[in-house]
Amino acid sequence: MTTVAAAPATTETRWRFFRRNAPYLIVYALILVIAVFGTLSSERFLTDRNLLNVFRQTAFLGTIALGQTLVILTGGIDLSVGSLVKLSVLVSAILMNGESSNMGVAIAATLGLGVLVGFIHGLLITRLNVPPFVVTLGSYSILYGIALTITTNPIGRAAPEMLRFYDLRIGPIYAPTIVFIILLVALSFVLRRTTFGRYIYAVGGNEQVARLSGIPVKRVKFGVYILCSLLASLTGLFWLSRMGIGDPVIGDGLELQTITAAILGGTSLFGGRGSLWGTLGGALLLSLTANVLVVLNVNQWIQQLIQGAIILTAVALYKQKSR
Amino acid sequence: MTDTSPDTILEMRQIAKAFAGVQALKGVSFSCRAGQVHALVGENGAGKSTLMKILAGAYQPDSGEIIYKGRRYTSLSTREALDNGIRIIYQELNLLPYMTVAENIFLGREPRTGLGLIDTKKLYADAEAILQRLEMPLDVRQPVGELTVARQQMVEIAKALSQRADVIVMDEPSAILAGHELETLFSVVESLVRQGVAVIYISHRLDEVFRIANEVTVLKDGQVVGTHPIEALTRAQLIQMMVGRSLDEAFPHGQPRRGAPVLTVEGVTTAAVRDIHLTLHAGEIVGLAGLVGSGRTELARALFGADRLQSGTVRLNGEVVTLSSPAQAVDAGIALVPEDRKTQGLFMELPIRNNITLTVLDKLTRYGVIRRRAEAERVDQARRELAIAMASASAEVQYLSGGNQQKVVLSKWLARAPKVIILDEPTRGIDVGAKFEIYQLMRQLTEQGVAILMISSELTEILGMSDRILVMRDGRIVGELAREEATEERVMQLATTGSLLPATTELPGYTGSDA
Repeated sequence: MTTVAAAPATTETRWRFFRRNAPYLIVYALILVIAVFGTLSSERFLTDRNLLNVFRQTAFLGTIALGQTLVILTGGIDLSVGSLVKLSVLVSAILMNGESSNMGVAIAATLGLGVLVGFIHGLLITRLNVPPFVVTLGSYSILYGIALTITTNPIGRAAPEMLRFYDLRIGPIYAPTIVFIILLVALSFVLRRTTFGRYIYAVGGNEQVARLSGIPVKRVKFGVYILCSLLASLTGLFWLSRMGIGDPVIGDGLELQTITAAILGGTSLFGGRGSLWGTLGGALLLSLTANVLVVLNVNQWIQQLIQGAIILTAVALYKQKSR
Repeated sequence: MTDTSPDTILEMRQIAKAFAGVQALKGVSFSCRAGQVHALVGENGAGKSTLMKILAGAYQPDSGEIIYKGRRYTSLSTREALDNGIRIIYQELNLLPYMTVAENIFLGREPRTGLGLIDTKKLYADAEAILQRLEMPLDVRQPVGELTVARQQMVEIAKALSQRADVIVMDEPSAILAGHELETLFSVVESLVRQGVAVIYISHRLDEVFRIANEVTVLKDGQVVGTHPIEALTRAQLIQMMVGRSLDEAFPHGQPRRGAPVLTVEGVTTAAVRDIHLTLHAGEIVGLAGLVGSGRTELARALFGADRLQSGTVRLNGEVVTLSSPAQAVDAGIALVPEDRKTQGLFMELPIRNNITLTVLDKLTRYGVIRRRAEAERVDQARRELAIAMASASAEVQYLSGGNQQKVVLSKWLARAPKVIILDEPTRGIDVGAKFEIYQLMRQLTEQGVAILMISSELTEILGMSDRILVMRDGRIVGELAREEATEERVMQLATTGSLLPATTELPGYTGSDA
């Protein structure tokens, strides 16, 4: 019986490989389609300047989406990232106040804020057993409230070095893009090759089995929520370097965009399945689409509509393939 | 198979079916008669389910024919099967817990009033009538979630039989039931038979086959090994037909090598178990018997740090250990192979590799990074030691057979070289061949000095494998039996009444451990 089962399994395994990787193939195929469409419809699309800009924008969305993906892989979700970006921009701008000498403290405090928020999430989720959706929905609202209590008008100022970071290039590539790529590679390695990474998939795959296997489930959850919030506050710093000022409109809607990027990249909302390279594809697809539509002068409400259509198309395609 | 006695209601002739090049059925002929129970047995993968799915119309056979109630079919559609009174009762329960018994029975086919609203009065009256006909003592207005599993299964059966049924296939109906709930199932089967229904009964438990079947057909590798009246067979002959080799003894022999006490439990009480005293010695297998719900699984969870201790101490090699989480138990050298491997033992959608090495990742890393070669070696070692049949370590565990899945769970723990292994229903849903391998493995482990606590609902397994037997009832250990003095009757007596009637050995509440 065992020998009979073993023989056809190899071809089946190969078939399963394609099925399982269908989301990546589809998301990158869609990127190609959008890119070809952009190239054919506007001369301004396929230029170094434009593409490097798209990659820079991808870094903004992608950095948080990495954290969001880690959280989703454990079967959780973080709805607070947009509010945290908003608050981080304000805090860093106020503390920096245009002075280079304040930069170190401001950066440390902003990242510290991220760690603190993530820690509180971890605490509420693991100790009080409140579902992540509820915890982060609450902190989404609280952080949003704090930010807009501080100010509803632009406030503070970035240090000059901070401002230069946004346009800094290493080779042809912008600095934010490089930071993002380093994070992507490093976190991917963590996911694939370290104990922590394996535990993330295990917790999301089946939390009960993970606990009964002696895995420190709570520590793993603390880890992903802290990382996610830390990456959100880092993105707040990116935004400060871009705007040069603490603008309270930054960050709106990022929670849904990061979740969208993760889903487009094939990460299962139930946890246990997905990858950061998929999320890269999701983030690229989103920023590329936005870029093409801007280049073509499409009005922004229509942009929303088209992005929604892309999400549904992609997800419908995955479902077809995984049948 | 040329037997065409007048009450033969169904005859399947020379049925063949292949899937992607694998011949699942190679010309199987099978017939059953009205008012009889026909058992269908065989190892996992023998073709039982495929054959029954062809009967239900879920699969179309490649060749062969089906003669049902005198009509000849080359294949059935699901609609034809249903319309002609063929019913299949699957192992899993598909009921809505917050709806009443009657609502579940008529789900999707509720009687309507003239206005198109649900005719509640008729709904309950009809449900009542069905339950009465089937002799099921159920309250039609009770929410299904409040019923025991055995009674929920009755509802499932009633649902299947609420329309006319002539042939009923029961696919391992006993797998989810505890010992004392079996009687309920048997009485339902008996009442069906009295009404002239043909019952096809699939089971791994041979006791049941001998208890209720009139005839038995053994399948192996997609072929019929034989069909016999049950009186013509002995248990040993039936096993031999199933596995194709003689298992003189279904249990491997081993000399108990009882060593020093490893695990000592003193007065442990949790929400579900009370005042537990027991001692496990190195190299022994202690069987933990008792009815489902007697606290066996809860005791295992407590010893594994999964449930909170209210009082009592646990010593490992003489030292008191704190067990407030499974992680601590694992570190202390305790392993738990849980009762339901699909929801508690395995990550079904993760690769086999990740499942095997998850508990020992800390030993496979350098500077926090997993060493691929070390991991591959570990997987390879597990594959060899436990003879796990897998095409690739990257395949997801869910695609393995039940026996191989259980081996993966075991290998996950063996890698940590635990001192104490708690096995909760180690061979549930596993075919006879794989069972024997797992028993052998248990013996090997005891030879290496591991102490094993084995929870099982199968009395033959408890009697065959245990060096000592502890019996639980209502959250307490009510008795201990040495291997020599244990019989099925004695274990059941303790499990159901809490004492042995001829007041020979133990008293109720006896918490014996040390000999």
